[in-house]
Amino acid sequence: AKVKAKELRGKKKEELLKQLDDLKKELQILRVAKVTGGAAAKLGKIYTVRKSVARVLTVIKQTQKDNLRKFYRKKTHKPKDLRQKKTRALRRALTPYELSLKSKKELRKQRLYPLRKYAVKE
Amino acid sequence: MAPKAKKSAAKTSKAAAPPKVDAGVVKAKEKALRAKKSVVRGTHDTKYRKIRTSVHFRRPKTLKLPRAPKYPRKSVNKTNKLDQYCLIKYPLTTESAMKKIEDNNTLVFIVDKRANKPMIKMAVKKLYDIEVAKVNTLIRPDCEKKAYVRIAPDYDALDIANKIGII
Repeated sequence: AKVKAKELRGKKKEELLKQLDDLKKELQILRVAKVTGGAAAKLGKIYTVRKSVARVLTVIKQTQKDNLRKFYRKKTHKPKDLRQKKTRALRRALTPYELSLKSKKELRKQRLYPLRKYAVKE
Repeated sequence: MAPKAKKSAAKTSKAAAPPKVDAGVVKAKEKALRAKKSVVRGTHDTKYRKIRTSVHFRRPKTLKLPRAPKYPRKSVNKTNKLDQYCLIKYPLTTESAMKKIEDNNTLVFIVDKRANKPMIKMAVKKLYDIEVAKVNTLIRPDCEKKAYVRIAPDYDALDIANKIGII
């Protein structure tokens, strides 16, 4: 039975955890079979079960993160891993508003000496 | 004589009457003056020295508020990656391991290197529904941990081995 991520996404967390448990139990049995010299079919199954476990864990983590992001969407203080990563320097840089602030001197200059557009008469 | 007496009486009466009123007025005046003085001088005027009963100065105890974070630093706490399934990798099926099963009522497992004896005990209990008497561990030369799990006398290692599939 191939576990597909599409089917997993609709399920609830308890169901997913239970499926994870079952898969891990199966993996244990397969590992014992490997040690006691099991059939080739069993040994080949180890790979698929391992990847299924990974798939279930991925879906769990993804839905969890998604729900958390939804929960914190409107809030001012978010946990640090839900904030924008960018780079360390960019996070500490001036905000666009802070960059746009001008001194009184500059504002005065802008007001008094705006950029003029000329038209040259033919 | 009579006028003199009268005069003296009048004087004394006069002297007597104002002090009654004056005393009250004077007191009020004094109080007002004292208040004014303390306001003008401020609170530094008082020379009250605390009584120190020890030569050492101990940091005074201040208010310590508990943490009340505005947001959790991590949105999700880490899950325990080393659960019972990861702990116990597989049982050993070597000849000496088989001997242990028959003679000493023990099962031999290869276990994650980070596992410790109480963790192994709990994991085996959970996985196979058995009681464990004790666990002995060693690290093999190929860096894998081997655990000798002695089972309680009311369980049979041979039965469990059959159930697991080792035999």
